[in-house]
Amino acid sequence: MSSHPTYFQGSVIDALREAIERQIPDSRAEVNGGGGHFSIEVTSPAFAGKSMLESQRLVYGAIAHLMKGDAAPVHAVDSLKTRTPVETVQTGG
Amino acid sequence: MALNEPLRKHISEILAKSRVVLFMKGNRRMPQCGFSAQVVQVLDKLVPSYDTVDVLSSPELRDGIKEFSQWPTIPQLYVDGQFIGGCDIVVAMDASGELQKRIGADVSEPETPTITISEAAAKTFTAAVADAGGDALRLQIDAQFQHELLFGPRGPADIEVRTSGLTVLLDRSSAGRANGVSIDFIDGSGGGFKITNPNEPPKVKQLNAKELEAMFDRGEVALFDVRPEDERAIAKIAAARPLDAAGQKYLLGLDPDSPIAFHCHHGIRSQKAAQEMLLEGFRNVYNLKGGIDAWSLAIDPSVPRY
Repeated sequence: MSSHPTYFQGSVIDALREAIERQIPDSRAEVNGGGGHFSIEVTSPAFAGKSMLESQRLVYGAIAHLMKGDAAPVHAVDSLKTRTPVETVQTGG
Repeated sequence: MALNEPLRKHISEILAKSRVVLFMKGNRRMPQCGFSAQVVQVLDKLVPSYDTVDVLSSPELRDGIKEFSQWPTIPQLYVDGQFIGGCDIVVAMDASGELQKRIGADVSEPETPTITISEAAAKTFTAAVADAGGDALRLQIDAQFQHELLFGPRGPADIEVRTSGLTVLLDRSSAGRANGVSIDFIDGSGGGFKITNPNEPPKVKQLNAKELEAMFDRGEVALFDVRPEDERAIAKIAAARPLDAAGQKYLLGLDPDSPIAFHCHHGIRSQKAAQEMLLEGFRNVYNLKGGIDAWSLAIDPSVPRY
């Protein structure tokens, strides 16, 4: 186990939001948290008709680079919600 | 880190061993993270048995399974080798009944257990059912064979048992532990429902000094002293065999049904020895509560206390 802190510079929250919004079409991401633990809520028409697993995969895929390795800036996503713009929440916390 | 071929094969073999496999932190009895604990709770309710893999015991598997599923978090649930999801997906699928369908379709239906309810217990239940506002009587039996009787709503996977004019609901894992259970009701103070379950694995039974003396006097039990020779030199119960090489040989030669009891100074070491004998297959195993010290106080003051 590595004991060094994350090498990441800058705001992890911003990095998460930008990564998600860049990779998921027409998405809006709300990210909260700190200390390696984050809650993420993403709204995008891309989730329409997708299962919860597929929707969450899209999000995890977008932020995978921030979760890799021992010194990852994101240690855990405590809550991940995906919804389509018509306001239907697909997943619980 | 890419998943190497031997590790991928290892994971596939783990998944092939059981229909339902949970990669988690800790194990079923002692989950080491809240998310893993939630998934265990859901599965315990739905399936009589499933495999768990503790990723904390293997950093290689912990990273490997994330690569395998392309999913970055633990726990991870697999059914028929297929990745189902993490904690919140499992919880949501459980609530919608989807998980039950996915797992339940091919999981063998547990046999409807036979449950006996005594007349006194049935009377008490019937009165309580009338007050329960439509909720059904449930019997829950967890993996440690702790029994709980309660009123609660009917679940989609419940097993229904009709007996003594009553309906008892059990979740699947409880049903798998319930065959032959009898429920009695004992009136008065210290009374209440008494549940006897023949499936319960034997436990070490605790005896106080008086109870042990009575059993011993009736010739019903063989008593063993687990303390080493230096402690036995200070104080001993004449009737107790030391658990030296000869004592162990004698003990292991006994019939596994014959009652055996253990004592030490205060009852801690003997409890451990007694538990080990359960693992050896003995079914009537006793521990002297409070050890030789309690014996000296309650039975024989000529035994020195130390």
